[in-house]
Amino acid sequence: MKTLVLVLEWFFILYFVLVNAGYMALNLLAIPSLRRKTALRPLEDLPPVYSGFEPPVSLLVPAYNEQATIATSVRSLLQLDYPEFEIVVINDGSDDGTLEALKQAFQLEGFPEVYWRRINAQPIRTIYHSRTHANLRVIDKVNGGRADALNVGINASRYPLFCAVDADSILQRDSLRRVVEPFLDDPTAIASGGTVRIANGCTVSGGNLEKVELPGNLLPLLQIVEYLRAFLFGRMGWATLDAVLVMSGAFGVFRKDALVEAGGYKAQVIGEDMELVVRLHRLLRARGERYKIHFVPDPICWTEAPESLSVLKDQRIRWQQGLCESLHRNRELLKTKNAGGTPGFLAFPFFMVFECYGPLIEIAGYAFMTAMFLLGQVSGLAFAAFLALAFSLGFLLSVSALLLEELSFHLYPRFSQMGALVCSAIVENLGYRQLVTFWRLVGLARWLRS
Amino acid sequence: MALGALALALLLLLAMGAMRQLRGWRAARIAHAENAWRDALSEAADDPNDVRLPPIGRFEMPAFLVLWNHFQESLKGEASDRLGVLLTLHGIDRHVLRLTRARSLRLKLIGIAAAGHLREQRAWPYLENLALNGGSIVSFAAARALLRIEPRRALEVLGAALSAREDWSLARIGSILQDLGPQVVTGPLVTMLLKRPKKGLDRLVKLARFGHRERISTIVRGWLGSSDEMEVLLAALDYVEDDSDLPWAKAAAGHTEWRVRMAAAKALGRIGGRAELAVLLELLRDPIWWVRYHAAQALTHLRGLEPHELDTLRENARDAFAADMLSQALAERRWQPVRLS
Repeated sequence: MKTLVLVLEWFFILYFVLVNAGYMALNLLAIPSLRRKTALRPLEDLPPVYSGFEPPVSLLVPAYNEQATIATSVRSLLQLDYPEFEIVVINDGSDDGTLEALKQAFQLEGFPEVYWRRINAQPIRTIYHSRTHANLRVIDKVNGGRADALNVGINASRYPLFCAVDADSILQRDSLRRVVEPFLDDPTAIASGGTVRIANGCTVSGGNLEKVELPGNLLPLLQIVEYLRAFLFGRMGWATLDAVLVMSGAFGVFRKDALVEAGGYKAQVIGEDMELVVRLHRLLRARGERYKIHFVPDPICWTEAPESLSVLKDQRIRWQQGLCESLHRNRELLKTKNAGGTPGFLAFPFFMVFECYGPLIEIAGYAFMTAMFLLGQVSGLAFAAFLALAFSLGFLLSVSALLLEELSFHLYPRFSQMGALVCSAIVENLGYRQLVTFWRLVGLARWLRS
Repeated sequence: MALGALALALLLLLAMGAMRQLRGWRAARIAHAENAWRDALSEAADDPNDVRLPPIGRFEMPAFLVLWNHFQESLKGEASDRLGVLLTLHGIDRHVLRLTRARSLRLKLIGIAAAGHLREQRAWPYLENLALNGGSIVSFAAARALLRIEPRRALEVLGAALSAREDWSLARIGSILQDLGPQVVTGPLVTMLLKRPKKGLDRLVKLARFGHRERISTIVRGWLGSSDEMEVLLAALDYVEDDSDLPWAKAAAGHTEWRVRMAAAKALGRIGGRAELAVLLELLRDPIWWVRYHAAQALTHLRGLEPHELDTLRENARDAFAADMLSQALAERRWQPVRLS
């Protein structure tokens, strides 16, 4: 019994060290990329000059019951600084006044447009063109969910690149220009995703971000540190290895041909954005095609984070289900001999062990150590050491994410803001992370049951 | 281990605090100086000789040059020259030359951009070497600087690289050529087109749009009968402009590649007449949506075809897809946008 306890004790400690070491390695990988990005800023910040070779982009905005905000969101998109783009709003069978709000705001009229159904999706009812904005169309369709709406948008889009935008995303005027940049420099680029930041506390006017501030509420403040970890060294680190498996659905650009060939978004999947990216890796690797999925670290998309525990809980459970489903549906990526590359032999197992099944091991670790301590099988000192290790490694990761932010974008320049973020980096390791891990475990269980 | 991680975290926090303090101190100094620099640069755009530029410390120099580059991007002609004179008068040109050789990428890029705006001939050999042998970012920055220093000579030196280097963004090269204007770029573009390079011909043909259309057109249209390469055909179809090209455009309408058929439809819409009706009606039944769309668009623009004839064509179309597409094209033609006040 004692040996078993000792083995398990060391297993959990080793797991905690390994998972944190993995993230730390990603952090170290992200540093040179971010420094390079900072070095390029004197050139990138010069006023843009367009040549006409910039690929035109279709912005796809799925909308379901967005009556209150949809007109403002579309107006803000219309102001984006980019030479040529169209906006396709897909009204996904809303049962409120979303369509009426759009009709009124943009003088929409039904148009006899021929719809090219390249990806299977729910039928459309009417295509509307705006009399006030030549680059705005609205498609009214039968409800089928976000992925289905995006597929309809892809079918109706006119341009070689498309950008999926959530109707509640807050963008900056240069967001589109920045996220499309990888397509200008790299002919093999098939997708490019940007960094999502938390808008709670920021000043937003007419759908545009005016001033960056920290939220007054603790819950979104904790999520800011989480997002910094996820984007600045999570995705940036994987991008350095050409192994981005996750792209935010709130704002990402794709090459349309590649996506149509892959069959579009999967309507039955919860995390359709991640599933799509993993599937693209799997299919393109299997075919031996040259491609690249880019990540743009610039803060270009802002979103409202949940301010209540119940909404946050639902969100995290859903994310975990989506992650598990995306990985398992595309597990062939792991088996793609030699051709899987870093996404196959490195990112995929990492996500599988630490992100998909990680919550199970973490919660089991906490439960086991607590139970053994209560049963007197583990000394108080060993238990305290375990907790101290979990806390200090988590804190170290959060602080290193703050350091990356300091080195690169420096969006929270005041000392008081830095103080608030450091405090939230401490607090999040004293219960919040464990709670989120528990919710992720619930998500894993739900996925296993389904 | 826990203590080690905690200690490291605290160390990072200290480093962060120190960086923030240093950054704040620098930002305050630069913000203070920047107003004076702005005033000086605005005055220098009119007359650089009497401008009093406050002394600029070594640490402030990159920030000053970033601002100077920003001013240069929005100025042209004599005003741009005068800003250059200001740098020379104050001996800053020496700093610029030093910066081009800096080890830090950021400083190097600032230096290279400034050397270009300054039209600094002394930097030419070093920049030429960077442009031809450097990595993607530095080589492109150097190429841009060379094109600013002496455009014609730079186009001769960089000619092949402009079209062949796939790591140089076509959009970015295009914006430079656009800025230089057709007077400068047409000659070198014509020379390059006549050589018809094997590598990068498609990129070269796209860049050719920044030259004088008439001179480029003569060369590119000449390729219509002699090439089967898709990119070449696409470019050539973009340049067809009179009846003499009709046989090629009609032949291209039967090409196996849909993008060529689409380009042929567009070309026939521009130069065709009633005689091309049959070819366009055939394209209107193409399996590819884009070919049908452009064929319908071409029909609505075809010389000698009256609107009521198009309505008749639509009503009599046996193919439902063709009829729908024609309806869309006609609706687009008749669509009246509302002007926002």
